[in-house]
Amino acid sequence: MEREGPLLEVLVHRIADVPADFLDEPRAQRTANVHVQGVVFDLYRLLGLEPEDSDVALYAPAAVPVAALSVRLLLCWVLCDDWFQGAKLERQAVQGLLVDAASKLAEHTRAAQFVSDPERREEIARVALARLGYRPAGETRPQAEDRLSSLSASERARVLEAARTAEARARAVREALAKQAAQEAADKWSRE
Amino acid sequence: MSADALTDEERYPTLTLHGREMLRFLREHPFAPIFRNRSGNRLLPDDIERVLAFEAEVASSPLGATRDPARWLQGFLEQWREVVPALRARRPWPAELSQHPCTSRADFARDIAQFVPDSAPVERLLNFRTSGTTGHPIPVPSHPVVAAGYLALYKRALRRFGIELRHGPGKVGVVLIGYQERCFTYTSVTPTMGDSGLVKLNLHESDWRDPNHRALYLDALAPELIAGDPLSFAELLRLPLELEPRAVLSTSMTLSHGLRNELESRFDCPVLDVYSMNEAGPIGVYDASLGGHVLLQPRLHVELLDEAGEPVAPSERGEITLTGGFNFCLPLVRYRTGDHARLEIRRGELVLVDLEGRPPVRFRAPDGRFFNNVDVTHALAPFSIARYTLHQDERGALHFKLCGARSPLAEVRAALARLFGDSLELRVEVVAHFEEKAIQYTSALRP
Repeated sequence: MEREGPLLEVLVHRIADVPADFLDEPRAQRTANVHVQGVVFDLYRLLGLEPEDSDVALYAPAAVPVAALSVRLLLCWVLCDDWFQGAKLERQAVQGLLVDAASKLAEHTRAAQFVSDPERREEIARVALARLGYRPAGETRPQAEDRLSSLSASERARVLEAARTAEARARAVREALAKQAAQEAADKWSRE
Repeated sequence: MSADALTDEERYPTLTLHGREMLRFLREHPFAPIFRNRSGNRLLPDDIERVLAFEAEVASSPLGATRDPARWLQGFLEQWREVVPALRARRPWPAELSQHPCTSRADFARDIAQFVPDSAPVERLLNFRTSGTTGHPIPVPSHPVVAAGYLALYKRALRRFGIELRHGPGKVGVVLIGYQERCFTYTSVTPTMGDSGLVKLNLHESDWRDPNHRALYLDALAPELIAGDPLSFAELLRLPLELEPRAVLSTSMTLSHGLRNELESRFDCPVLDVYSMNEAGPIGVYDASLGGHVLLQPRLHVELLDEAGEPVAPSERGEITLTGGFNFCLPLVRYRTGDHARLEIRRGELVLVDLEGRPPVRFRAPDGRFFNNVDVTHALAPFSIARYTLHQDERGALHFKLCGARSPLAEVRAALARLFGDSLELRVEVVAHFEEKAIQYTSALRP
């Protein structure tokens, strides 16, 4: 959330006005309608990014729950906003949003609910901005973080998981250092 | 896994036949000391490539490169920004280096893990503990590649004095000498120098079957380089040695000019006084032609800060504060070292002048004038003294303790009297040894 992004209201209205196609059943099975991977690659080009070979596997629908694909599709609609086209988004951030964040959001809420429920509309808009490194225009970083945390179960879960991972890593480092011999455990050409 | 539990394959992963024979020679020599520990370079083949690449980078960095941090500093900060926990937590991200908070030994002691990048491989972490001038030991995370990287900087330092190291297979590259009741002692080889020998030994008599073996063993090793500290050098000078090292390297403690001159005279080779610390590795080497320690690392930015954390005026003394370094397990961002100096540009290079390892201490002469510890250092510089401390008590009396002195005590006393005045109350005490981290200058006078 380092940088200031668009007005939140613009994104929230955009989500509320999502075309029906973006809520159609994603092509996870032969009988479904929307080719989500194709939509993602069209989005990439809109954002000035060229799909790479690795993206084909990354966005392959097989083994991805339909619910996550639906949220991914909705996020594509959000990112089609003119504001993002001029923002020079980083590829890695876009991937993180469309793959990881979509999956986490879908664990708690269906795509249709992100459209119909005002708080869920705000949640998905804020998550999209946060994962791309932005906060809503007119908000400070602490304000944006607080509001997102209060709205989003998935964000709270993500923050908690990140904290657990960080603490596990720190513990591993402390234990590794404690195990080592007090002094020269590998040669140095001097003493200090 | 502790160092003693490793196999030889783990200690010396790329050991050659030359290396194996060298280890046997070092350990089984009839005059060898009792080696109490085992170490090892622990360098894998990929590691050796990284070490050689670092050596090439250091060797090709122009003199004066340390003056231009803009070339690399922002990239360094960006590299570690999301990977070091303590940096990741800095929000908003400071726009300038000067806006970053300083770190200190206390921060490392509190939780060193916050300063270790997520990318540092836990299974290969080493721990080079340091207690600084005083204080509790803090862990300093490191890695075999980092430990091996010291050699690149020593080579850069030696080059200033016309020395290119050349001992390779079948020869001993370096002997590290200590002189303590107990210290780590071991044998090893340096793969980037053709598995030349490396020995860490203790000149204390308790580590030898016969004290006379010390000189005989060192002569037999004929190392290209001898590394040690003023205490071990003072003991070394007492031995009937015939060896002819190409250079002597001193670290850990201040090396007096007098002792340096004596070593140069005895061994007829350059004697390098290196300013180094576990947290950053070799930082500078004393160059008499520049009158200070010239900075060695191309990617180590030095600031001098006052007590409030603000940069001092040009040519003023301040606390040496480091950003950068080659230790990818502990990248430094405004690390306050506790050492003080002035920083000047001399002949196009950055030089630490009047380097002292503690905050300034003031001493009061009987006539009311004040001197600081740097004045005392200058007054005692001509003498060959391994180590000394000076303390002024609450009445103003001075207590001067020294060990390893090879200069007449009367002359040392006279030098102090010239500085402070003849009516100085001064007690001079010769001691056999100091506590490992005795503070050099202290005062009980109220400010």
